[in-house]
Formats: sequence, structure tokens, C-alpha cells
Amino acid sequence: MADTAVTIELEHLTKTYAGVAAPAVDDVSMTIPAGELVVFLGPSGCGKTTTMKMINRLIEPTSGVIRIGGEDVLGTDPVELRRRIGYVIQSIGLFPHMTIADNIASVPKMLGWPKARITGRVEELLTLVGLDPATFARRFPRQLSGGQQQRVGVARALAADPPVLLMDEPFGATDPITRLRLQREFRRLQQDLGKTVIFVTHDFDEALVLGDRIAVLAERSRIAQYAAPLALLANPADDYVRSFTGNSTHVRLLGILTADTAADPGVIGHGAEPELTTAATLRDVTELLLAGHATVAVLDQTGTRLGGADFTTVRRAVAAAQAQARPAEETDADADSDADADSVSDTEIPA
Amino acid sequence: MEGPSLPDYLRQQWVYIRPMVIEQIQLVIVTIVISAVIGVAVGALVWDRPRVSGAVQAVAGGLLTIPSLALLTLLQPATGLGWTTTIIALVVYAQLPIIRNTVTGLRGVDPGILQAASGMGMNGRRILVRIQLPLAWPVILAGLRVATMLVFGISAIAAYVSGPGLGNLVFTGLSRLGSVNATNQAVVGAFGIAILALAFDAAYVLIRRLTVSRGIRG
Repeated sequence: MADTAVTIELEHLTKTYAGVAAPAVDDVSMTIPAGELVVFLGPSGCGKTTTMKMINRLIEPTSGVIRIGGEDVLGTDPVELRRRIGYVIQSIGLFPHMTIADNIASVPKMLGWPKARITGRVEELLTLVGLDPATFARRFPRQLSGGQQQRVGVARALAADPPVLLMDEPFGATDPITRLRLQREFRRLQQDLGKTVIFVTHDFDEALVLGDRIAVLAERSRIAQYAAPLALLANPADDYVRSFTGNSTHVRLLGILTADTAADPGVIGHGAEPELTTAATLRDVTELLLAGHATVAVLDQTGTRLGGADFTTVRRAVAAAQAQARPAEETDADADSDADADSVSDTEIPA
Repeated sequence: MEGPSLPDYLRQQWVYIRPMVIEQIQLVIVTIVISAVIGVAVGALVWDRPRVSGAVQAVAGGLLTIPSLALLTLLQPATGLGWTTTIIALVVYAQLPIIRNTVTGLRGVDPGILQAASGMGMNGRRILVRIQLPLAWPVILAGLRVATMLVFGISAIAAYVSGPGLGNLVFTGLSRLGSVNATNQAVVGAFGIAILALAFDAAYVLIRRLTVSRGIRG
């Protein structure tokens, strides 16, 4: 399905509300590459949701251009446009009077799909989001937990296989444990489906877990920095971006680097050595090391030992990731501009 | 002055009472159906404009304060005696609970649901018909129930303009008070209306069960 992915281009997008002098969204231009998940990260009221809602025209831009797959969407019928864009919101908005199956079937029904195709698609989607069709298809939303409802919300958005998915803090209302599980599941789902996704959140950790790229948005949706998670952590563009990355950037890096980055064949395990696959993160590795294990074995999918990880290799992997993400000429920018928190933590990790 | 007992009266006069009972039922059903169509339509048109819906409800409330005798007297020169005048008057009285509950019900629909609906490409009419009205239906139905009770109460007075129903028994009985069967007539008319009203009230429980989605039934 990756071949159906489309690029989204925003050019000089501006939204001004009548009677308000300052625009809510001011001259935003960016490209969301096909098949990538781009996070709009910013505090409440920064215009990130407004920016997103202009893409499916729930909010009409005052000026600017939006192109999806090269097509100027401002010239199309907004209702027809929205049927081609999946939309998931924090309150989920499942229709409580309809069964789960009918909820998921909403857009295919509007598109006039034959009944058999709709039934098949509903089953396929429920399975895809990890809900057993036999158990859940005939239930009503209120009979589901928050996490299950949000899975249905995602399934409903995917129903007509739209190339674009807009997600507005979709996991924000769930408890932390459910949220983490939903994030991981969705990440995997997104990698399989290859949709172009715009994901709005104010949660930096969520942005790190999910984003191929993160657009850090300041007031009026000004793009403070638009970069891959690693680059953002390693090289925040300014104090505003740094206010998100905070002074625990190294710990956060642990969460997004995979275990294999610290696997060194030279590190030999002694005795009982815990094992992790490449799907695990350095965070998982560090957890085991802190629990008292001298080394952790990292295995590939086939179960072959890629190497061992210990504190030294973890430290080296983090430093390498930082060095890689940081353009060479800007290596010392951090130390110059911010002498306290960041530089203190920098000294702990030899680069 | 010794008249027949109430059971005897019912047995003897049932052939005259029965058509009035049937008329009474028909009158209320026709009135409520017409009132529902008008009231829900008005509510659906104004619910999202607070000022307009406030004004509409004020008018409907104002109409409700007109004494029913006065309204019937006002209508009578234009629409004559009988069913038409009766139904028009009753429909007027039924509007407030129906419009108010329609507005309340439609406003009560979670904005997140509406946003999801328009975000997935439903147009306004589809959202109203497929999402809002079904979700507001329990509240609208409660309004219809109140309107029905209201209509039953006022319908007795319709006999004043030769309208249909058990009100005729009440009026005849009261005008002949002291003569044979006068009390029986008034009692059967009044209690007949009350019993029918209770039966309709019970019917609403069944209607609710049949028409409200299992997903939102409390």
C-alpha cells in the first residue's frame, strides 16, 4: 500500500479570524513526505490543530495553498475531500448509537461500497487493530474500554483506505499504560501501511516514539524546528525547542535508539545473560543493566546473537547518534548558547 | 334522582361511549404526529442558533399561557367547529415541550461526535439525520411524552367547539348536573381521559424500547 502514499505540501498557509488582529496560523510552509508520520508538536493554542484542520478543510484557510499528492485541495469539494482523508480525534467521536461494525463502515457506506465488501473490510480492520471481529463487531462503543474505542477510531479512519491520516491527540485521553501500548501498536501499523500521517500532540515523548519527523510549532504555528527525532534531541534549534527536549535528552535518546545500536560482538556475556531483540530500545537495555546484569545479549529476528551491550556500548551508541544527527559545523553550538543544564549532562557522556 | 350505578351506566351506554373513546385516541395520535413533525422540524432548524431558538421557545411558551377556552374561541370563527379547530389548538399547546426537548437533545450531542462526523465527510443533512436526531431521540421522545399528557389534559375542553372525544361526556354531565347519569357522565369522561393518558404513558415506554438504539439506552 506504500505506493499509494502521497506527499502533502503546505504553502504560505494562513488563517485569520474576523475581529482578531493576529493570525491564528501565520504563513506556514512545509512538506510532509509521502508515507511518513509527521508530528505537529506544540503547546495548546499554538495553532497546531488549526493547521491540521485546514488540511481536511474543517477550517478554511484565509490564504495559502494545500496540495495533497500534487492536487490543490482548496479547489475540491470539502465533503468529498474528507472521505479521502482519515481523521482521528482525542474524543474519538465514535457514534454511540451504532455498532462497532457500523461505525467502521461509515465512510465505505457513503462511498457506496457493496455490502459484502464492507463486511469483509470491517473484519479486516478489526483484526488489523487487534480486536476480534466475532467479539467486537456487534458491540456498541460504550461496551468498550477507552483503549479499545481508540483502536476502533483508528480502524474507522482507515476504513476506505485513505492515503492520508490526520490524528489530533488521538491517545491523549487514555491512561499512560494504554497510551504507550497504543503508540507502539500504531507505530507498527503505520510502518506496515505506509500512510502519510499528520499527528498532533503536545507530548514530546509521544512525538519521539511515533514521529519520522517532528515539527516543533511555536505561537501562530510558526515552525521552530522541523527535523527527525534524533536531530531534534541532538541539536535543538533554539531555546524554544530546548524547552521541549529539556535536560534529559540522553535518557530520551535511550527511548528511541534500538538495542542493536549498542550491540558489540566484542562484549562477551558471562553466565546467565538476559536477551533482547532488535525491536527493543536502549531504554530496555539500560533497565536490565541497572537491574544488575553486567551485559545484555542483543539478538536479531532469527535469534542469532548480534553482540552484547553494557554501559560502555550504550554510552557509545548514544554519543554516536548525537554526533551523527549534529551537523559537523554546529557541534559546539549547544555549549555556547546554553551553559548550564545541557552542558552538565553533556560532560557525563564522552563524545 | 336515583340513577343507574356506574357499572350499569357503562353497560347501558357503552354503545355511545365507545365511539368517544376511539375519537379521543384518534385525536391525541393525530395531534401528536402533527405536533412532532412541526416541533422537531422547528427544533432542528433553530437548535444551533441560541437567540433564535430562545425566541422560538418564548413564543411557544407564550402560546401555552393562552387559556384554552380563549384560544378555541379565537380560532372558531376562522376554522369552524369540530376536529380542525381542536387539532390546531392542541398542536399549538404541544409545541413547547417538543421544541424545547428537540433543541436540548440536539445541543446535547457531544461536539466530538459531530466533529468526527464532518471530518469523515458527512454533510450537514446527513449528520442531522444519521447522527444528531438518533442521538437526541430519547430526549425528543421525553418531550413527546410530556406533550401527550398535556394534550390529553386540554383535549377535554375541545368539546366546547364540538370537538371529538370524551370531553363531550364531561361537558354534558356538568351541564346536566343533578339529572340522571349526569355524575356518571362526568366521571366516565374525566377518568376515561385519565386512564387513556396513563395507557399512552405506558406505551411510550414500549416506543422508547423499540426506537432508541441499544447503544444509548440508559
